[in-house]
Amino acid sequence: MAPAVAHAPFGSAQGQPAGMPASAQAELVKQYCTGCHNDRGKAGELTLTGWDVSRASAERDLTEKMIHKLRAGMMPPSGARRPAPEQVSQFVSALESRMDALGAADPNPGWRPFQRLNRAEYAREIRALLDLDVDVTAFLPADTISDGFDNVADVQTFSPTLMEGYLRAASRIATLAIGDPSGSPSQATFKLPKTASQMAHVDGAPPGTRGGISVDHTFAADGDYVFSMDFFAEPLGFLFGNTRPGEEIEVSLDGARLAVFKIDPRMSEEKTGLTLKTEPIHVKAGTHRITAAFIQRFEGLINDLIAPIDHTMADTEIGIAPGITTLPHLRSLSVVGPHRVTGVSDTPSRRRLFHCRPTTQADETTCASDIVRRLATQAFRRPVAEKDQARLMSFYARGRKELNFEAGITKALEAVLASPQFLFRVEESPRLRSASYGAAGSNTNTGYRLGEYELASRLSFFLWGRGPDAELLKAAGQGRLGLVGALAKQANRMLAVPGSEALATRFAAQWLRLQDLEKVIPDPILYPYSDQTLSLALKKETELFFGSLVSEDRSLLELLTADYTFVNERVARHYGIPNVTGSAFQRVSLPADRRGILGHGSILTLTSIAERTSPVQRGKWVMEVLLGSPPPPPPPNVPALEETKGTAESGRALSVRERMEQHRGNPQCTSCHRVIDPIGLALENFDATGKWRVRDGGIAVDTKGELFDGAAIEGPDGLRAALMRHKDVILLSFTRSLMTYALGRRVEAFDMPTVRRILRDAESQQYRVSAFVNGIVESDAFRMARLPASQAADTRTTDSAEGSDRRRNQR
Amino acid sequence: MILTRHHLSRRTALKGIGATIALPFLDAMLQARAIAQGRPSTSLRASKPVRLIAMEMVHGAAGSTAYGIKQHMWSPAATGSAFDLGPTSLKSLEPYRDYLTIVSNTDCRNAEAFAASEIGADHFRSAAVFLTQAKPRQTQGSDVFAGTSFDQIVAQKFGDATPIPSMQLCIENVDQAGGCSYNYSCVYTDTISWASPEDPLPMIRDPRAVFDQLFGVGATPEERRLRRKDDQSILDFVAESVGDLRRRLGPADRARLADYLEDVREIERRIQKVEQSNQTGEPRELPGAPVGVPDSFEEHVKLMFDLQALAFAADTTRIFSFKFSRDVSNRVFAASGSTAAFHTGSHHLDREERIADFQKINTYHVSLVPYLLDKLKTIPDGEGNVLDNTLVIYGSAMGNSNLHNHKRCPLFFVGKAGGALKGNRHVKADDGTPMANAMLAALNGIGVDITQFGDSTKAMDLNVVQS
Repeated sequence: MAPAVAHAPFGSAQGQPAGMPASAQAELVKQYCTGCHNDRGKAGELTLTGWDVSRASAERDLTEKMIHKLRAGMMPPSGARRPAPEQVSQFVSALESRMDALGAADPNPGWRPFQRLNRAEYAREIRALLDLDVDVTAFLPADTISDGFDNVADVQTFSPTLMEGYLRAASRIATLAIGDPSGSPSQATFKLPKTASQMAHVDGAPPGTRGGISVDHTFAADGDYVFSMDFFAEPLGFLFGNTRPGEEIEVSLDGARLAVFKIDPRMSEEKTGLTLKTEPIHVKAGTHRITAAFIQRFEGLINDLIAPIDHTMADTEIGIAPGITTLPHLRSLSVVGPHRVTGVSDTPSRRRLFHCRPTTQADETTCASDIVRRLATQAFRRPVAEKDQARLMSFYARGRKELNFEAGITKALEAVLASPQFLFRVEESPRLRSASYGAAGSNTNTGYRLGEYELASRLSFFLWGRGPDAELLKAAGQGRLGLVGALAKQANRMLAVPGSEALATRFAAQWLRLQDLEKVIPDPILYPYSDQTLSLALKKETELFFGSLVSEDRSLLELLTADYTFVNERVARHYGIPNVTGSAFQRVSLPADRRGILGHGSILTLTSIAERTSPVQRGKWVMEVLLGSPPPPPPPNVPALEETKGTAESGRALSVRERMEQHRGNPQCTSCHRVIDPIGLALENFDATGKWRVRDGGIAVDTKGELFDGAAIEGPDGLRAALMRHKDVILLSFTRSLMTYALGRRVEAFDMPTVRRILRDAESQQYRVSAFVNGIVESDAFRMARLPASQAADTRTTDSAEGSDRRRNQR
Repeated sequence: MILTRHHLSRRTALKGIGATIALPFLDAMLQARAIAQGRPSTSLRASKPVRLIAMEMVHGAAGSTAYGIKQHMWSPAATGSAFDLGPTSLKSLEPYRDYLTIVSNTDCRNAEAFAASEIGADHFRSAAVFLTQAKPRQTQGSDVFAGTSFDQIVAQKFGDATPIPSMQLCIENVDQAGGCSYNYSCVYTDTISWASPEDPLPMIRDPRAVFDQLFGVGATPEERRLRRKDDQSILDFVAESVGDLRRRLGPADRARLADYLEDVREIERRIQKVEQSNQTGEPRELPGAPVGVPDSFEEHVKLMFDLQALAFAADTTRIFSFKFSRDVSNRVFAASGSTAAFHTGSHHLDREERIADFQKINTYHVSLVPYLLDKLKTIPDGEGNVLDNTLVIYGSAMGNSNLHNHKRCPLFFVGKAGGALKGNRHVKADDGTPMANAMLAALNGIGVDITQFGDSTKAMDLNVVQS
């Protein structure tokens, strides 16, 4: 049956009323929709009885939902009576034009409460300010997610825990950045999970080594540090991998060897212990790469009684069995110190901060003032006011008096990092805005223009995930950012530099739900070739892929259709792509089945569970992420798949597809699962780790199905082709998500005319990524704001200070 | 010195990640002052809060063997109150006799093997049984299943009263991933606390991590004091900046910043309270922060005990579970007088001299407990001390470690549990009584009104004086 898809262009320019007369629209709804959506049945809790165009104007939310469902071809549902595709197209056009006209009559750029730096943004700001990498999870609580993103302003709550976290972070980071000659010793431990592969070379470790751990660590002062290493043991306490004598482990700092240890196979809890410690070693302050890695003694296949598969630590008991070659695995690396501090040497963060050094006492205040001013300007993302400068200098003065110049700078830095001007991205109300912060547009009904520095911040956090650079600040200072086209010009500049990888690692990673990947650990017995190393590589693949769409300004549709991806040796082996070696990623071409995001192991793994695929999760992912139309949650008391019989009468194990048939026999479940499952089932050739398979539980994989719009699909290729017929919806979903991320607020019905306009413009540019970015940054929603009616009158105060606290259910 | 329940408003109750600033005697200042000035103190809770420390030792006891029972190697001969601890491993608890309730002859049946595939795996499921008294599902995969543990049942009921509901500490280096022997997931060996039958909780080994969670950052008291001073001036600065910002914002944003300001004030108040209590000469001085994990077992244990006592004093949390060791650990406890490795020594082949040697290890372990009890006794609480209102559980889910049976397992309680335990009791259960019966009685005694726990048949009377 031919799918009923609306191929109409997005709305019409300038919101002119389009063709289909009002009576025809009402008749269409009456004929095809009120069968289910009526007062009696209220399918989906919606009644459309008596729907007419005035209701469309009155209930914009509902109308936009209708538009979306019709475009996606999800309504009327497959199996129900459907109007002719042209009729649907016309109806959709008419609705969109009506909505666009309303939007033109009352343009609303929207408003959000002020944002604060979330974890990721905080870390990036510290990196930009101080050239320092910090683990923010040690200080700041997790961010609340709304609509899939962690930077939505109105769900960012405050609490004493958060406040305290910012304080502790400010104190600790200030100390680390400048160095802490009086610091007391502490222990930093870096752990490796059992699921990390230690048979091959690890990124960052010296060549010729295998496994182990390689991390950057910031040493607070010059002094003596002790490095200690723990090894994995099998359950009875003996060293895992003690069947091979002669193993050695090396501790190195920035690639230079500090110590080498022979690993005695007799190491065990009882006699020789499983910990190796170095002597105290003198290390200079600053960030260094510390590595503890085994010397690689051989490469290639092992010819032994049993050759273990890659993931050896799935069962630690084999670690001591003769006839199986297993190698020692590192459990954790600890750095204890500093002891006997000798001072603080030059570090990148000190170099970043101290661009002047006072030679005499008289110089100190001038130099300090200069340092503080520069720091505050960059941290506050605008020129620092004299009052604030004076306050910060008083912190400097106190520290100077208590100890010395550097202690003064440390105190001032701490104050900067604790300041709300750093932590919050405030956008000022127009009437109350102080004159020095950029020209204030008058607060008319259409809203007010944001100030120059506010625009600079919005732009840089959108494209780089951090504050503005010097050039942006300069343009803002000259009042140039508010001019038409200025933001787009800056955006083009910013997309071309490495900082734009934030769009991949911050935006795309969240839009595509990549953070769920770390929650899924494939069962090591069923999938012995999968481990954490592979999962991290798969995530990187997706990030690099999206990054290439941005940096090469490709069409967004290539997200689904691209014939290339980025793999390293592990990933290539996983996908069956030959001739790729090493841990660095390189671009490769792909066979048809694997093209696009639906062939990425990251997506395929995060939509599975530990021991099998989940077509329901995969279907949900496609519907939610790509089509912007998530399925409703399941009714309560749905039994898990495992509770159904896993074997047929004959005793044969059922495939995943067969198990789900048992469920879908239940009419209560079918209405939703008829839509969700076929999408996931079309991907059943990819197992729970994304590897290609043709059999599942001994039965040939069957990927045939029917998409919700009635189209027959088979296999990933067929699914992709069917989805591409809905590319308008996919682009819509992408634009909405990108806009949510860019604005820091959820996209509402009144934003949809803007979204449609962006899509129309993007179409004329072949849907290139830059078209979407420019469309967003040049939109009123990005450059302006309008206080909601409840706040328009200044004298009224609102009760709900933090807005709605919606926690989006990600599963 | 009166120390009563503190009053943090709901808004300021800290949950989630991030260190708290512990405030010794915060409410003492409020309440004590109020009482001293003759004002009625703000609501005193009717029931006293009970603290809990559930400690697990592994490998059973020498006193669970036939020979050991005859020689009274674990529990004393007499029941009731007139027992002689001399020959037992519990002799170091003599000074705390009045707080001691020994429960002997109970079984942990759910740690036995029920199917052929489970035979031999005792070491790899006992830890999961101890505080849940439930049968752990034999699996190496992610579908682990046991029961809700004693401490978590208590935490679910009472944990909200403190900033940190409960903490789980351990001594041995454990990790939760993957499979261990005999087809049991490692998680069954590595942890004794289960928030639900499917949720094992990780245990913290590094005392510094525990310290930071409880007391905030700063290695020495001086450092922390300086930090507090710095914090205070930073907070002033922050408050001023917020004030400036507010003036330029719309009403909704202003209201939001007002909330933030309230948080700032709350932190300020806490700092001031700490300063006040320090200036009034309160003798409680927090120790220097530990630098990572000590090499010595005894040092590590004592450090963990210090932290637990301090947490009770500051009322940051009232519920601990503490895993002393790990099954099949081969540590040597030289200070016990025995040179046998723990697991090796526990396989004494039921030979008398080796059982006696194993008893030295048991005795040594118990001898570390008075260190904790000393500390708890010195913390005032209401009209008595914290030990009056604490329940310390010490036991193992294994009995005869050589045979790997789970009969006649070692168990004792210390502390009066807010009056639920009279102390100075040795209760000997009838043969075949589940240990869960004793635990159920303890749960009921501290205010958890359930009728079934693990494989319990009924709640045992822990205060009975049998003839």
